[in-house]
Amino acid sequence: MLSRKNDWTRYATIVASLALGAAVWEIAGHMTSDAFWVPLSATLRSLEEVLRNGVLLRQAASSFELYLTGLAFGVAVGAPLGLLLARVAWLRVALEDYILMLYATPMVALIPFILSMMGFGFAPKALVVFLFAVFPVLYNTIEGARSIRPELIEVAHSFRSGEWALWRDVMMPYTLPFAMTGIRQAIARGLVGMVAAEFFLSPSGLGQMIMMGSQNFDTAGMLAAILIIVLLGVALMDLGRYLEKRFAAWRGYNP
Amino acid sequence: MAGLQPVSRDAGLPSTAAATEGRGAPPSLLLKASAGVVLLLVWEIVVRALAPEYVARPTGIAKVFLPVLSDAQFLAAAGATLWAVVQGLAISIVAGTAVGLLMGRVPTAEHGLRYYVNSLFATPMVAILPLVTLWFGYNADARLAVVVFASFFSMAINTADGARSVPMEFLEVARSFRARPMSTMFDVVLPSSLPYLLAGLRLAAGRALIGAVVAEFFVSIPGLGYFILYNSRTFRHDDAFVAVIVLVAAGVGFEAAIKWLTRRYMPWGRRG
Repeated sequence: MLSRKNDWTRYATIVASLALGAAVWEIAGHMTSDAFWVPLSATLRSLEEVLRNGVLLRQAASSFELYLTGLAFGVAVGAPLGLLLARVAWLRVALEDYILMLYATPMVALIPFILSMMGFGFAPKALVVFLFAVFPVLYNTIEGARSIRPELIEVAHSFRSGEWALWRDVMMPYTLPFAMTGIRQAIARGLVGMVAAEFFLSPSGLGQMIMMGSQNFDTAGMLAAILIIVLLGVALMDLGRYLEKRFAAWRGYNP
Repeated sequence: MAGLQPVSRDAGLPSTAAATEGRGAPPSLLLKASAGVVLLLVWEIVVRALAPEYVARPTGIAKVFLPVLSDAQFLAAAGATLWAVVQGLAISIVAGTAVGLLMGRVPTAEHGLRYYVNSLFATPMVAILPLVTLWFGYNADARLAVVVFASFFSMAINTADGARSVPMEFLEVARSFRARPMSTMFDVVLPSSLPYLLAGLRLAAGRALIGAVVAEFFVSIPGLGYFILYNSRTFRHDDAFVAVIVLVAAGVGFEAAIKWLTRRYMPWGRRG
């Protein structure tokens, strides 16, 4: 158990390390050429400017639309399909190796194909985010389904449980924690997909802000946009962890 | 992180096999193979019916597969990408393990570094590409830097998790024998956290491969990623797809190798 004093030193260390990081950022910015790195203060000024003139809000909204569309389709396809494969054993045996393979495929490698087939626009970019997000959900849901103990289904059957009741009371609660692990991964991967799509397909959103910064030698603008993406990544990862933990308790009756 | 992975693949297999065979269904290997054939057929038919001529399809890929694989330029590209991944991983293994052990055992290091490591781990590596090219230029160094960035943080985080979960008894024994801090670190903490380290390496390897590919897209240096970009721009999708197959094979092969290593040489690593 941590004592109050330990708690206090911990916070002091954290604050000191953040302050040190900020100081190093600031000093490094003053010591190097502006093309390489700019001070934290300049980055924050640039951030304030894009915040005030509405560019940040507009670009972030555009990014979020893309991210949420891809992620929503990924979950909406991955989770039900995973559950279906959970129930139909022969289909699962037939397909699981291929799904594992797709889960391991670096989806960025498919971006050039999507570009030359579908061109620019919203749909190809949403497809990229979808491809990044769907396989973690599918793969983990199947993994969860695989661990359903046959006794549970047998008991449900002996009580003459209907197919719908079986799904609602056994399959879905049992696989949900695993699906949540998949959704956590999808949340993180989807963000990578979003930035990759905004970089390599038609530039838009936060990705475009980074690109414009680097092309116009506006390092402060670029760092400001990267900083926003870092904060977004941290927030989304925390959200994913929270979701996963929230439902992890249901794994309790796993032997 | 590693502890939250879904249960081991073997957990449900026997019952699945028994259930399928019990119902008189064909054995699973045949089932898997026929599913593969069906998937390829669907791909072929859909592309022939709906997509333009240049879009990759199984027969087209099969036709160019061996010629591309034996092409010297392709081999050089594959070698460059995979070598960058191996080099980057080597750097990340050494540096990430050192930082991870430090974070796992020294509270001050943990509190001081945690926010940086966690937030850079959560950062999509694609976002830092322009910054990396500013620092390293448009060359192979930039690719190596991206690979290291992509893999370092998952190594550090997983090693730290492992170092934190060393059983108290081990440390107490080490202390009773008056082990020096260094030897406690390398003879007790490191072996005990090896399974976590390898879980981190599996994650890191996948990320490193992605990092190398996006770096090549961005920087346009010879490699598998650039091979895909170039060939799909010139509408030779079949050729480009061979590179995707090689990437997947590299990823899956590496994953399998690590799994095997863990099971074979680290019996103490069977958690959950």
